[in-house]
Amino acid sequence: MSLPSGHTMGHTDQVAQRRARCSDIYQRRLSSRSEKVNPGMHSSSHQQQDREAAMHGAHVDSSVRYTPYAISPYNRKGSFRKQDQTHVNMEREQKPPERRMEGNMPDGTLGSWFKITVPFGIKYNEKWLLNLIRNECSVPFIPVEFHYENMHASFFVENASIAYALKNISGKIWDEDNEKISIFVSPAGIPHFVQKELKSEKVEQIKLAMKQQCDVSQEALDIQRLPFYPDMMTRNTKMASNPGKCMAASLHVHEENIPTVMSAEGMDKWKGIEPGEKGADRSPVCTTFSDNSSNINSILELFPKLLSLDGQQSPRPTLCGTEAHKMLPTCKGSFFGSEMLKNLVLQFLQQYYLIYDSGDRQGLLSAYHDEACFSLSIPFNPEDSAPSSLCKYFKDSRNIKMLKNPYLKGALLKHTKRDIVDSLNALPKTQHDLSSFLVDMWCQTEWMLCFSVNGVFKEVEGQSQGSVLAFTRTFITTPGSSSSLCIVNDKLFVRDISHQGTQSALFTLVPTAFSSVPAFSQEQQKMLPS
Amino acid sequence: MGDMPIWEQIGSNLMWNKIPHYYQLFDNDRTQLGAIYVDTSCLKWEGQPFQGKAPIVEKLSSLPFQKIQHSITAQDHQPTPHSCIISTAVGQLKADEDPHLGFHQMFLLKNINNAWVCTNDMFRLALHNFS
Repeated sequence: MSLPSGHTMGHTDQVAQRRARCSDIYQRRLSSRSEKVNPGMHSSSHQQQDREAAMHGAHVDSSVRYTPYAISPYNRKGSFRKQDQTHVNMEREQKPPERRMEGNMPDGTLGSWFKITVPFGIKYNEKWLLNLIRNECSVPFIPVEFHYENMHASFFVENASIAYALKNISGKIWDEDNEKISIFVSPAGIPHFVQKELKSEKVEQIKLAMKQQCDVSQEALDIQRLPFYPDMMTRNTKMASNPGKCMAASLHVHEENIPTVMSAEGMDKWKGIEPGEKGADRSPVCTTFSDNSSNINSILELFPKLLSLDGQQSPRPTLCGTEAHKMLPTCKGSFFGSEMLKNLVLQFLQQYYLIYDSGDRQGLLSAYHDEACFSLSIPFNPEDSAPSSLCKYFKDSRNIKMLKNPYLKGALLKHTKRDIVDSLNALPKTQHDLSSFLVDMWCQTEWMLCFSVNGVFKEVEGQSQGSVLAFTRTFITTPGSSSSLCIVNDKLFVRDISHQGTQSALFTLVPTAFSSVPAFSQEQQKMLPS
Repeated sequence: MGDMPIWEQIGSNLMWNKIPHYYQLFDNDRTQLGAIYVDTSCLKWEGQPFQGKAPIVEKLSSLPFQKIQHSITAQDHQPTPHSCIISTAVGQLKADEDPHLGFHQMFLLKNINNAWVCTNDMFRLALHNFS
């Protein structure tokens, strides 16, 4: 029945086709109305899954849902450990199921699920539509809970990069009537049927990964055993028995120095954790890409040429000029401590900027801790007479050098996630260039992951539309639930590239976190060491 | 009116004293920079990691220029978990006769034995990859 567009056929065939489609649509509308399809309904989704499972030939246990990314029942060795009490504190209120349909994050994290909607997709047969999308889409994906909703077709995907890729093919596929098919993407709460299985498990995965970084007693960290999406993990029992190693000796901290901004509840979580000290006790883990296992996750597959990790030299391009710049000789690209954490950070950044650039930053509310801090600063150049495109950031800027009034300083630091997201929403709309991102992970403990992102973005509206600005953003995060990170500190610095004079033609020689090919100019090549 | 929060006072103090002092030391005699680090400190210099006071000072001392001059154009700080302060400095530097370059540096500062030290330091030049 489904023919690719462009296939020629006789008139009567076309009429017959249309009739068949119409009756199909009628069937689908009837079934969707009566079943009230939404991810929260078990009956329809169960049927969908059974059909899908049957198609894929997977074994379907009626009491266990088909969950492609969760630990299979055979491998769950009592892995649903009692959730750490501190995480209970960080759990947000559960929103009622109907709110989830609106694309909110129900469980207070930056969820990795995205809802893909094809408007008026009720016209299309599921298999035909998915095949069409698959043929066009550059990345493989597994659609979850495909269903028809009013006039539209929807499904979920569990990966920001997949969502991104699907968004990109919107308008690039056509149906048999040569009408363009659009694809809309929005962040979604975790589809109901996977939520239960994944929740407690992923928290443990992240904590475990971070803990492994701390444990000096572990001699060989087997990266293969730390897939981001757990399949089967053999846990080193040595790790679990020595949590004390991850807690540095308690130091006397003068009472005055305890920040009053953090609530008492927040402080409890951090007791005993010494940032930076664990970084010194272990050497950064080098992964080798040759250790490819079937556990390699989708992010890695999408970025096969991810930058070399610590210890591996980036290949140096040949020099054109003789002048060497003295600060650059040891320039390396993004630094990550381990494969798992790298993927965690990259996925976090993808999700974060997908929402940040979407036009409505409200979705970031769930990415921040209740007591998070955010501040923004821009460079202050007293010689600047011309108004720069940074003007609109100016009033929010927290550049201490400029501020004489100490009371103003407090006002420009945003505290609590609501204030933060409100102020983020007031900033100009942006389009970040993920391929320009240079990411540095500079501190990891069991409870904290700190990293900075350098890159560029474009303003997409207003007077300075099209202008390119550079930014550095530093995040201090803690593990949230559902395999995500929760932002505790967020520091954004924005600068106008054109103001940098000598830097205006500069390109970094180093491949970035999201791209494989470095772009560099002749001027830059002059600065490379011989 | 109320007092400034404690962390803000501390942070400001570090901003006006500690950080500028760091760059003064760096510009005048960077072999003395050990004073701000401890044995558990970590430095990420343009993507390269260094751990411990001695390796850090060795790295900074061995940077291949005679003269260096930093000029700070922006600074900021925030309180972080476990009573630390994260302090960022952005500015320009000039090494010997090379052209000016922008830089961004992040310090995670902690009070140990009544002295503020840097446990994590991250330095990046302000270069960007345009695709």
